[in-house]
Amino acid sequence: MKEKILTLPTPYGGNLELHKNTWGKSGEPLSIVSGLQGDHLNGLFLNSHLTQFLDSIVEGLDPHYTLTGQVQTFPVVNVNAVQSGTRLWPLDGMDMDLAFPGNPEGETAEAIASAILQHTKDSFWGIILTSAPPHYEDAPHIQTHKPDSREKKMCRDLQIETARRQKDSPTQKVNLFHHWQEQEISSVMVSAGSPRTINPQQCEVLFQGILNFMKAEGILKDHRNKKPDNKIKTRIYDPDEEVLVRTSAAGMLLKEVKVGNFLKKGQKIGEVRDIYSGKRLEELAAPEDGLLITLRQYPIVYEKEPIAILLSGKDRWQKIGHVFQSIVKR
Amino acid sequence: METKCVLSIKSPLGPPVEILKHVFPANSNRPRVSFVAGLHGDELEGLYICHKLLRYLKNLEANQPEAIQGEINIYPAVNPQALENSTRLWPFFSIDVNRTFGSRQTDSLAVETSQALLEDLKSSSDTVIDFHSSNLQLLELPQIRIIKDFEKKLLPLAKKCNVDLIWIHPNAEIFASTLGFNLNSAKIPTLVIETGICLRIHPEKGDQIFNGVLNLLNELGTLKLTPEPVKEPHLVQPDQVKMVQAHHSGLFIKQVEAGNFLEEGERIGKLIDPIEGSILKEVVSPCSGLLFTIREHPLAHKGSPLARIAELGVQ
Repeated sequence: MKEKILTLPTPYGGNLELHKNTWGKSGEPLSIVSGLQGDHLNGLFLNSHLTQFLDSIVEGLDPHYTLTGQVQTFPVVNVNAVQSGTRLWPLDGMDMDLAFPGNPEGETAEAIASAILQHTKDSFWGIILTSAPPHYEDAPHIQTHKPDSREKKMCRDLQIETARRQKDSPTQKVNLFHHWQEQEISSVMVSAGSPRTINPQQCEVLFQGILNFMKAEGILKDHRNKKPDNKIKTRIYDPDEEVLVRTSAAGMLLKEVKVGNFLKKGQKIGEVRDIYSGKRLEELAAPEDGLLITLRQYPIVYEKEPIAILLSGKDRWQKIGHVFQSIVKR
Repeated sequence: METKCVLSIKSPLGPPVEILKHVFPANSNRPRVSFVAGLHGDELEGLYICHKLLRYLKNLEANQPEAIQGEINIYPAVNPQALENSTRLWPFFSIDVNRTFGSRQTDSLAVETSQALLEDLKSSSDTVIDFHSSNLQLLELPQIRIIKDFEKKLLPLAKKCNVDLIWIHPNAEIFASTLGFNLNSAKIPTLVIETGICLRIHPEKGDQIFNGVLNLLNELGTLKLTPEPVKEPHLVQPDQVKMVQAHHSGLFIKQVEAGNFLEEGERIGKLIDPIEGSILKEVVSPCSGLLFTIREHPLAHKGSPLARIAELGVQ
C-alpha cells in the first residue's frame, strides 16, 4: 500500500510529497529507507525492486512466498535532491542525513526528517540503503557502528559476506542511523556502488541479502523449504583492519582492479599519470593482502587522496597470534 | 610578517592548493590570537575583516613594532577551492568542511585538511576568532553566538568585540563537528563572529567588527594601543530569541531592515503567491525587540525562517 506521509506546499503551486509503502499485518515492522542523498540511486532501484517483489506476493502472484511480518519502505527521502539530480537540495545545501531528529514545524529538511523518524519509530528492524561517497564505488557490504548481539544477528541473517564497523563521527548524532539505535531499533546500513549510477548486479546481492534476512527473521515464509546450498558467513571488520591507499601525486588515475577483488600484497591497483605529458607519476599497489571494498571511480585525483580502502584481517591475526604466543610462553 | 603554509596539496593541473597563514611575531610573551576566515567559500565578510587587519598590522609592524606584544596569526582563506568557486561547500565532494572537525575518519581530503588546520590552530593560539557570514537565505547583524557550556569563558571576550548582539544558546549535536566547538573543547577560547550574508561584503559592518577586534587584542594585551570605544552588545538568552517562520510557501517581501527595533505587531513583510497573485500572509513581529536576522532570499518554503527578534523588553 502506497501512503502519503507528508505533504508540503511549494512556493510555485505544487506539493512536495513523501511516501511510504507498507505490506503485511500490523506489528513491529522492518523499515527500509533509501534516497537520503539525492544521488544514491542504487537504493532507489533496490527499493523499487523490493516493491515489485512484495506486491507480487501480497497479490498472490508468487506461489513460493507468504508475507508473515510487516515491511515498510521509504523509497525517496530527499525528494528535492532526487528531483534536482543532485546529492543535496541546491536551495538549502544541507545533507539530509544531518537533519535528524528533525522538527515537524521546521524547514523542509527538518520536517521530512521528523516524518521519517515518526513513521519508523515502532520498527523492530531498520535498514538504510546507501552508496559510496561522491567519486567512489563500494563493493556490496553492511555498515554497522557498535553492533549488539541483535545487530550481529542481522549481519549473519543478511548473509552478505562483508560488514564494516564504522568509527565514531562527530556528526553521527544527527544521522537517522543513530536515532534508530537510540530507539533500540536493530539497524544496519547496506552500501553498494557509486552515486549517480545504478548497478543491477550489486543491487541483486543486496536484494538477496534482504530476502535472506526476511526469511531468517520470519517476515517472509518460503514454502519450498529448500535449505540454502552454502550459507554465507558474514565477517565484520573493525576500523583498524581498514587500510587506506593514498596518492602521493596528482593527476589522472587509471585503475586496474575492481571493487570486490581480493588483492595480494604488492598487486597493482592503478597508476597516476600527468594530465599534460601523459607520463606516469606514481604506481599504486596494495600495501598488504585485503579485500578491495572501496575504490576511487572519478579519475582526476589530488595528492594525498584515498583511492582505495582494503579490508585486511592482518591486525586481528597479529593480535590473536600475540595472545596465543603469550599463552604458550606461560 | 612571515607567511607560512599550513597545508599544501598538489592539484591535478599543477598549482597546489594551499592554506596560508600570516604570522606577526610577538615582542613579548602576551597571548597569541588567531583569526580564521573562509571556512565556507561563499562567506566573504570575514575576508574583508582579515584584509583590514593585515593592512593595519603591516603598518603597525613597520612604524610601531613594539605595539605587537603577542603573536597574531591570520588565516585569511582556509577553504581555497570553495572560495575560488564561491561555494559554501568543498566543491569536489560537496562537503561542509565545518562539519568535519573532530572526525577520526581520515577517508577524505576535506577531513585531512580540517585536521591539519585544527592542529595548527591548537599549536599556535591562545584565543581564536572564526569569522562567518550567514547562508544564502538570511542576513545577520554582527553577532557572537555562544554555546551555554562555554559562556563563562567566552562572554567576557565577546563583550569586547563591538558586536550588536551576543546570543547564548544551548548546545546542539551538530556543533560537535565545527571548528569553534572543537577548539573550545580543547580549552582554546574561540569566538564565532557571524555577520552579514554570504556572497556579499558590508564594509560598514566589517569596519565595526574590525574596531572590536582591535579592542579585544588590546584588552588581551596582544596589542598595546589606544582603541576606539566599542558598543555594549545586547546579551540575549535562548528564551529571548523569537523566530518568525513562514506558515505558507511563497515569496517573502521584506519591509524592514536588520537592526530595526520593532514593536509587537509591527509589520516585517508579507508572503505572496507568485502564481495566483494573492497575499498569503502579512508577517508581523511577535514581540518588541531588535530585529537581528532577516530573510533576504525571497523564496520561502513552509517552515523557512523569515526573521529573528531579540526580545529586549524583558532584559
